[in-house]
Amino acid sequence: MRLKTSLQKDKHKELVCCVGWTTADELYSCSDDHQIFKWNLLNNETTLVVQLQDDIYPIDLHWFPKTVGGKKQSLAEIFVLTSSDGKFHLASKTGRIEKSVEAHRGAVLAGRWNYDGTSLITAGEDGQIKIWSKSGMLRSTLAQQGSPVYSVAWGPDSDRILYTSGKQLIIKPLQPSSKALQWKAHDGIVLKVDWNSVNDLILSGGEDCKYKVWDSYGRQLYSSALHDYPITSVAWAPDGEVFAMGSFNTLRLCDKTGWSYALEKPNTGSIFSLAWSADGTQLAGACGNGHVIFAHVVEQRWAWKSFEITLTKRRSMQVRNVTNDAVDVLEFRDPIIKASLSHSHLVVTTSLQCYVYSVKNWNTPLIFDLKEGTVSLILQAERHFLLVDGAGIYVFSYEGRLVSSPKVPGMRTDILNAQAISLSNDTVAIRGKTDEKVIFLFDALTGKPLADGKPLTHKLEVMEIALDQCGVAADRKIALIDKNRDLYLTSVRRFSREPIISKIGTMVHTMAWNDSANILCAIQDSQFTVWYYPNAVFVDQELLPKTLFSKDASEFSRTPQILNYVGTLVTIRRADGSLVYSSVSPYPAMLHEHTGASRWNDALRLCRFAKDQTLWASLAAMAMASKELTAAEVAYAAIGEVDKVQYINYIKELPSKESSLAHILLFSGHVQEAETMLLQAGLIYQAIQIHINLYNWDRALELAVKHKTHVDTVLAHRQKYLQDFSKKETNKRFLQYSEGVEVDWEKIQAKVEMELAKERERAAGRTLPPPPFVEPVLFQPSALWALFTRPTLWGQL
Amino acid sequence: MDRDPLAEAGLHFDELNKLRVLDPEVRQKTTELREECKDFVDKIVQFQKIVGGLIEHVDQLAKEAETEKMKAIGARNLLKSVAKQREAQQQQLQALIAEKKMQLERYRIEYEALSKVEAEQNEFIDQFILQK
Repeated sequence: MRLKTSLQKDKHKELVCCVGWTTADELYSCSDDHQIFKWNLLNNETTLVVQLQDDIYPIDLHWFPKTVGGKKQSLAEIFVLTSSDGKFHLASKTGRIEKSVEAHRGAVLAGRWNYDGTSLITAGEDGQIKIWSKSGMLRSTLAQQGSPVYSVAWGPDSDRILYTSGKQLIIKPLQPSSKALQWKAHDGIVLKVDWNSVNDLILSGGEDCKYKVWDSYGRQLYSSALHDYPITSVAWAPDGEVFAMGSFNTLRLCDKTGWSYALEKPNTGSIFSLAWSADGTQLAGACGNGHVIFAHVVEQRWAWKSFEITLTKRRSMQVRNVTNDAVDVLEFRDPIIKASLSHSHLVVTTSLQCYVYSVKNWNTPLIFDLKEGTVSLILQAERHFLLVDGAGIYVFSYEGRLVSSPKVPGMRTDILNAQAISLSNDTVAIRGKTDEKVIFLFDALTGKPLADGKPLTHKLEVMEIALDQCGVAADRKIALIDKNRDLYLTSVRRFSREPIISKIGTMVHTMAWNDSANILCAIQDSQFTVWYYPNAVFVDQELLPKTLFSKDASEFSRTPQILNYVGTLVTIRRADGSLVYSSVSPYPAMLHEHTGASRWNDALRLCRFAKDQTLWASLAAMAMASKELTAAEVAYAAIGEVDKVQYINYIKELPSKESSLAHILLFSGHVQEAETMLLQAGLIYQAIQIHINLYNWDRALELAVKHKTHVDTVLAHRQKYLQDFSKKETNKRFLQYSEGVEVDWEKIQAKVEMELAKERERAAGRTLPPPPFVEPVLFQPSALWALFTRPTLWGQL
Repeated sequence: MDRDPLAEAGLHFDELNKLRVLDPEVRQKTTELREECKDFVDKIVQFQKIVGGLIEHVDQLAKEAETEKMKAIGARNLLKSVAKQREAQQQQLQALIAEKKMQLERYRIEYEALSKVEAEQNEFIDQFILQK
C-alpha cells in the first residue's frame, strides 16, 4: 500500500495553513496570503472563494459535520475558521463570514466541531479551551493552563476531549466533576493530535520528531523512529485502518498499529495540516511552500486462497490467480471506497454502487446501487455479506438482494469496526457502544433480534466478538474477548435459558474462527493456540484442555494480530507489519466434516490414522455432544479417560432413553437439565438418585418429600454417608424427617429394583421388540489395555 | 630708414597691391597663429575623443568585471547550496531507502514464514504417503 501524490500547478502565494474537504472531490484551503481557494478535483479547477481582510491570518479550518446519526444535515454548510487575532469566524460555503467571535487572547490555534455538530471547541495561545454552541455562543471554559494549546480533538462519543499541554497530552471529560487523564507523551512540544472514533486510538506528533499511537487510557502502543524534522501534522483516515503523518518534505502512510506502509518525499516544505475526505479515499495536505498536496491510496492488496487483488488505480483493480498466473483487470466508474475478498466472492463498493464478483467469473459482476455513499465496513460470510454505512447495517445476499437490516436503537453505525460486529450465515452480532458489556444478536435472514430482543450481557466490557461460521443455526456460538483479555464462548440461540458464558482462554490478544469448520485459533500470552473443538467446554469441561493444540508464538513477536484463518492457514500480522503464516493440521477440519455428517466410523478411522491425542479428545467431545456413545467410548478409551469410559458404559446400559439422555446431560455437568428431563419423564426415583450420587442431599430430600416417595431411600443413603465419614447429622431437615422413618435397607433395595423394573417395562412398552436385558458388564481395565496394545482390536469396536 | 608715410598713417600695401590696414607681416603671423590654433583645437578634440573612447572602454570593462564577479560569487554560492541540496537529497533518498529496507525485511519475514509452511506441508504429505 502506498500513497500516490500529486501537486497541482496552482498555488497560494504564502504558506498554506489548513485544508478541509466538503465532498470527496472538493477541498477548501486557507493561506497566509488571506485567500481561500476551492479545489475541484473532478475538473482540476482551482477557484478563489474569497479574499479575506488583510488582518485575518487563518490558522485552522473545520467543516461542520455533514451527517449526524445517518441523517443529512439540512443546515447550510458552514465552516469554522480560526485566526491569529484571537477570533474565530463562522463562514459559509461561498466564503461569506457569517459571524466573528472574539474568543481568545492571542491566536486561536485550533477549532473543532464535535461529531454531532452541537458544539465547537476552540483552543488558544492563551492556554484556554472554550466550548461554544453551534451559533457561536460561549458555553464554558473547559480548561486553562500556562502554555498554548496547539491541538485539540474530540473523543469518539463527543464526551471527552484530548488536548496538548507542552510535552503532555490531556484527556478531559466534559463533565465538570470527572478527573482528567494526563500523561507525558513526547520529549518535545506536542504539535498535533488526532483521535479516531472507530478504533478509539490517539495519534500525536511532536517537536521531538516522533509520532506515537496511544489507546484511550494513555498507554503507548507505538512510537516511531526519529525523523529529521518535527512532525507537523497527523490525521486518521475515517475508517481508522490507516493514518497519515506530515513533516518537512515528508508524507507517510501508516497502519493503525503504527508501522509505516509508505513514505513519500514530495517537494512541499512542511505539511502543516492533513485532512482525509469523508469516504477515506483522498488525502490533502497544506504545504509550507503554498502548494496543496493531494494523495490517494493505491496498491492496497487483498488475498484469499489463490487470488491476489491489487488496487492499481483509484478506479481499477488487478486480479491475479497465482496458481495459473491468469490476470484480470476490473474497471470501475467511480473511485473504489472499500473492498473485501473472502468466501469465493469479492465485494467492492464505490461512492454509488456495490459490485459483487464471484471468483469463478471476473467478467460479469453483479451491480446494485447504494443508498448512502460511504460504506465504512464490509463483512463477509459464506452465504451473504454485510455493509455498514452511516445510516445503518445491511445484509445482502451474493445475488445482490437485501436480506435484512438489523437495527440497534441509538447507535452510530459509522463507527463500528470489525472487532465490534460479526456475521455468520444466520446471525449478526453487534457489540453495544454505550454499554460495551452488551452484545446485540440478530437473525441475519430477518434482521429481527434473537431471544426476544434481550441482548447478551457479559460481566465485563467486551473488546472483540466473533461468530463461528459453520454448522446449523441452533448451534451458533460466539467467542468474545473481554477487557481482562479472557476468551469466552457462549451459545447465541439459547431458548430462554440464561446463557452459559464459559471461559476457554486467558490473556488472549487476538482470535479468529476458521472459515470452513468451527475451529478457533488465538494467540494466548506467548502461545499460539487452536481450539479444535471449542464446544467441548459445554460437553466435558475437563476435556477442553486436551482438545487444544498450542505452539510457541514467539516467532510472531509482540502483539500480533490474526487476520484470518482460511482452510489450514492462519495469517498473522506482526507488530512490525510483516505477514506471517502458520499452518494448522488439516485433520481437525476433516474430523469436523465427518462428525458433522454423522460418519462416525470415518471419524474413528481418521483418528486412528492420525494417532493424535488432541484429535481423539476432540472426537470424544464431539461424539458426546451428538450423544454418539459408541464413538465416544472408543475416543475416551484412546485418551485414557477410564472413568469416563466406565460412565459411558453405564449410560449405555440404562434401561430407558430418558435416563440415558439425562445421564448424558449429567456427563456434561448439566445437573439441572438432567433433573428436569427425568422429572418430565416421570422418573422421580432416578432424579432423586442422581442427587444422592452427587451428595446433593438437600435437593434429593426436597424432591423425595415433594413427590412423597423414596424419602427413606434418601435418608438411608444419608445415614450411610454419615457413617462412612463418621459424622453426626447436623442438617435440620434431615433430623426432622429421620424421626419416625425406619431405615430398612432390604425394603429400599426392593423398592429400587421395582422402580428400575418399572422403567424397563415402560421403555419396553414403547419400543418394539423389547430390548434384551443386558447383564451389566463390569469394566475391565485389562480389556482397555488390550485396545491400546493391539490396534487390530480396534476394528472390533 | 625712411618712413613710409602710408605706413605712418597705418596703411599698407600687400603683395597684390591692395590697400591694407594691417602690416602684412603681422597679418601673416596672425594667420599662422590662427592656423596653429586651429591645429591645436583639432588635436585637442581628437585627444578628447580618444580619451572618451578609452574611458568608455574602461567603464565597460569595469562593468563586465563586475558582472563576472557577481557571476563568480553566484556560482560559488550555488556550488555551496548544491552541496547542501545534495545533502538534503541524499537524506531524502536515505529515508526512502530505509523505508524500502523495512519493506524488504517484512517481505523476507513473510517469505520465511511461507517457506516454513511449505516445509511443514511437504513433511505432512511425506508422512501421509508413508503411512498409507
